[in-house]
Amino acid sequence: MSEGSGGEGAADTKLSDQAAATRGSRDGLARLNVLAAIRHGDILGSILLTVAVMAIIVVAFGGNPWTVAKTIINNSLAEEIFLGQTIMTAAILILTGLAAAIPFTARLWNIGGEGQMFAGAVVAVTLGIMLPEGTAHGLFVLILIVGAAAGGALWGSVPGVLKAYFGINEIVTSLMLNFLAFFAANYVVTVAWPEIYAQLQSQEIHDNAHFPDFWASAKVDISVFIALAAALAAWVLITRTSLGFSIRSVGANPRAARLAGVRTRLVTVSSFLTAGAAGGLAGAVTVGGIHHDLALDLWISNYGYVGIAVALLARLNPIAVLPAAFIFSTLRVGSNSLQAAAGISSSFGEVLIATFVIMLMVTGAIRFRYAQH
Amino acid sequence: MTEVVLITLFGSGLALMVPVLLAALGEAISEQAGVLNVGIEGTMLFGAAICALVGVNTANVPLALLAGTATGMGAGVVLSALYVRRGTDQIVTGLLFNIFALGVTGILTAQVIIGNTAPTLSPWTVPLLGRIPKLRDVLNEQNFLFWISIILAIVIFYLLRRTWWGLYARAAGERPHASSSAGLDVWRLRYTAVIAGNALAGLGGAALVMSTSGRFIPGFTSGRGFIALGVVVVARWNPLWVVAIAGLFGLSQALQFVAGLIDFFEPVPDQFWLALPYLVTVAAVAVSRGSRYPAAVGIPWREPAAEAR
Repeated sequence: MSEGSGGEGAADTKLSDQAAATRGSRDGLARLNVLAAIRHGDILGSILLTVAVMAIIVVAFGGNPWTVAKTIINNSLAEEIFLGQTIMTAAILILTGLAAAIPFTARLWNIGGEGQMFAGAVVAVTLGIMLPEGTAHGLFVLILIVGAAAGGALWGSVPGVLKAYFGINEIVTSLMLNFLAFFAANYVVTVAWPEIYAQLQSQEIHDNAHFPDFWASAKVDISVFIALAAALAAWVLITRTSLGFSIRSVGANPRAARLAGVRTRLVTVSSFLTAGAAGGLAGAVTVGGIHHDLALDLWISNYGYVGIAVALLARLNPIAVLPAAFIFSTLRVGSNSLQAAAGISSSFGEVLIATFVIMLMVTGAIRFRYAQH
Repeated sequence: MTEVVLITLFGSGLALMVPVLLAALGEAISEQAGVLNVGIEGTMLFGAAICALVGVNTANVPLALLAGTATGMGAGVVLSALYVRRGTDQIVTGLLFNIFALGVTGILTAQVIIGNTAPTLSPWTVPLLGRIPKLRDVLNEQNFLFWISIILAIVIFYLLRRTWWGLYARAAGERPHASSSAGLDVWRLRYTAVIAGNALAGLGGAALVMSTSGRFIPGFTSGRGFIALGVVVVARWNPLWVVAIAGLFGLSQALQFVAGLIDFFEPVPDQFWLALPYLVTVAAVAVSRGSRYPAAVGIPWREPAAEAR
């Protein structure tokens, strides 16, 4: 692994990190400071390393790095319809990003964003088909949103409760629940309400359940505001409420937090609940907003896992999740056109995002602190 | 009737066990040395994709298996550089590595493998056990990788629990500080464990390609690496128990093939059987809550001297 400008930056971070660690209880707050990362110059090093690795991969697959870069930018931001896609994808990534960021703040590894999104989507599509067609538009949309959030929260609470009351590792359980949610969706799509004219997708939800358009020519609907409101709510929760303080203190030092009287079980369950609700909302956006049905190829979009990358780029700050989601959404949507324009498969988007976040960790722009033994 | 059901169940159950078993053995080694390798799913994907690629192009099965293992080893070198040398967070690095692997193998499938099929392994008739009636019908269905994985489990049990290296590695996973003070090279132990563990995961991915259709599709491993993470916890890091638990998961996966033969299961939707292995993993991990990770798992280790500098 080459150590260029990024490696030297990491040394500085180490020192300032130690200084931050000695400040004790302010530790949790320090992690919410976005500007700290930019100041260290580690981001620049990470970008350079990522560009280098990506160029190697593109050349290895017989592409031209310059064409790839141009295609990604042109096909995500330059035209109205692409920009609309980028904004809608960003809305999903904001929500799955929050689903990771909130529990991560308490050092709880919710890897179940994918499953929580599917749980929300299953509830949304069920409500959208089952409720009477004549339900008033605004009410129908509201029911869909609340139902999906509740479904996601319920699904998300499972690993939280298992962790809090039975001490069961949340990584394995939240991961496995992704697959269970996927097969539940599979049941809905292939058995309960299959679309007759297309495979692996459900019937369409009633017209009155479609989210109202906000910028019709770019196919952008009110999902954007759901995502913005969720990010704002998460920011208030984390930085302005006593529960948020408990969540941060558990993240900074679980043992100290417990000794100081923080109810760690409550923190565990509630951070998984809120994360699940955010993931469920992402499901509502895909069903009520973008597709108006549930298609199983949602699974290969990996929105839940990319959400983890978003949360990390945002350094777990709910407001910083907004630009982070937009950046990764640009890369994702832009990559969709790569096959035609540059002869590289659209999977390139994921490779790019994963490499960038790994490089951020390699250079030390994203660091995790560990309780000392 | 019941006999057919049982033979199918155990025959395919043992076959389905092999990839999970190999990955879980690899995970056991690296976790005992203190590294939680969540990236095992990605390593399996890489192993499977490269194995399919080499298999398609050379039609040479042993070479393809070796290529899969070597790819796993390469992934281990990269991951150990991140986990151990750079000390990045193991859970997050592993997860991102999985996304990276999904993407790269996706590109490989779309541009190089393109739905081509590699030759696969044929069943191997066992010399002595293969003559016992009933048992014969199950064991003679297995290819030689099944036997290799069983032998590897015994070898790794011996390595981890009966050799000095195993003791040192477990010490590095429990008390890296004390191990370092006692003169052990914690980094080196962890490098070795992570690279060996990923080589096994790569072989597991290759085994998955070679014992099924010989065809790689994106997301081919469908969470088997994650199931392996659960298996290791339930088996309490004991390679021999890993065989038993991985076998249980193989059986739970094989139920989907026999469910159609039993009238009683008629009303159960197919999706239930597909979801069963994951459900079993959650249940098994929940039941074995007394199982404790090695103390230093997940925490990067730095030389105290390097920290003070």
